[in-house]
Amino acid sequence: MIGDIELAARSDEWLEVGLCCKPTDRPGAEQGVRLAYQAAGLAPPQRVLWCGSPMAAARAVATLDNPGASVRPQVRTRAWATARQALMQELGVTDFARHWIATTRRPWQQLVDQIVTPLRNRLNAHFASEGGELAQACQQALLDVILGHHDAAWLAAFDDSQPGLAGLRHVARSAGWWWAFENVAVLTDRYVEVHRDNLGRLHRGDGPALSYPDGYGIHSWRGMPIPAEVAAELATLTVQRIQAEDNAELRRVMLEHFGFERYLRESGATKQHADDYGTLWRVDIPGDEPLVMVEVINATAEPDGTWRTYFLRVPPDTSTAREGVAWTFGLSEQEYSPTQQT
Amino acid sequence: MYRQGDVLVMPIQREDLPSGLVLAPRDRHNRMVLALGEATGHAHVVTGERVALLCRPDDPDRLFLLIEGYGRVGHEEHGPIALAAGAYRVIRQREYFPGAIRPVSD
Repeated sequence: MIGDIELAARSDEWLEVGLCCKPTDRPGAEQGVRLAYQAAGLAPPQRVLWCGSPMAAARAVATLDNPGASVRPQVRTRAWATARQALMQELGVTDFARHWIATTRRPWQQLVDQIVTPLRNRLNAHFASEGGELAQACQQALLDVILGHHDAAWLAAFDDSQPGLAGLRHVARSAGWWWAFENVAVLTDRYVEVHRDNLGRLHRGDGPALSYPDGYGIHSWRGMPIPAEVAAELATLTVQRIQAEDNAELRRVMLEHFGFERYLRESGATKQHADDYGTLWRVDIPGDEPLVMVEVINATAEPDGTWRTYFLRVPPDTSTAREGVAWTFGLSEQEYSPTQQT
Repeated sequence: MYRQGDVLVMPIQREDLPSGLVLAPRDRHNRMVLALGEATGHAHVVTGERVALLCRPDDPDRLFLLIEGYGRVGHEEHGPIALAAGAYRVIRQREYFPGAIRPVSD
């Protein structure tokens, strides 16, 4: 059995593949596509079409002339299932489960949960709002996508000894999302920029958090997608503007960007309670549930000797600071009693 | 119980450890990591003598510690915490967000 260090290194390496923003290796990707078709027992596609983003590619796929049937099941799904089965047979159920989390847990969370899902949702929402037959065909196209670089999320589990995966690995290391049909393969470039916060959520305040070479991108604040117009407004927010926002989700993004502490200060928040655990603040927001936050002093001093405070939002029915901090750890007020904090 | 930034280490009875636990995979530096910051790369790491970081293979985000000797939790921005022998549950801090609950990271 392979040791943890090697598995973790492989996991890290594939996560890097999925986050890579270097220019696409188009010849490398095309070679990967041919290998993947070959491994599935198929003739290589007669044509290869390149697009600058998943948005452009979905449109291209929706309007393809005589693509033939999708061969995604043979090229991607069967290859994955076969490799998975072989690994499970080799390791046994328990060791396989451990191997799987050692290699794919972090890439899966960081790539699929934090990037693929919001990107897919955004594309679907865009086509849904566009309406019409073409937009519907674009949504349909998204169901047939092979994730290319984002397949790193599961490719991390396998080493080079799985010959059936060589093509998929090759594409993953070279390009972004792609589509496989009998007669044509549609490939997309990788993104050129991806900005993430400390939890890995798409996050940027002064531009798109994710952007592609053809200019397509998505704005996102701590994992929450926001329209470009709202993103542009974030730098000049006021309490009045936030309160005037009708859309509750956007208001919450504005609030976070503006800063809870500043909002509390500028909107006349009231101190609701204070104890050894911190201070509980409350401010009413017209048309929304109240903002209730616990202010906590960092237990470790900054290098300059000062003590940083930070704010955590807690449920609106919280009545004491201790209850608020306890809630952030899933505990009741009585249960929460740390003997040491750093 | 002990808090280091956004991580709480809570003593539990040994018999309250869930069944079917396996050793949680180590990272590439062979460390036992309780929580990792994606942007900073900073990590809550446990070290010590006869320390096991455990999880169920189907639930790798719920972590437990079984310490037969002694343990120590370190982090780049927080003071160290010493852990005596015993069983512990590791809890990540979360934040309320209307309509959702989101993890916190320091």
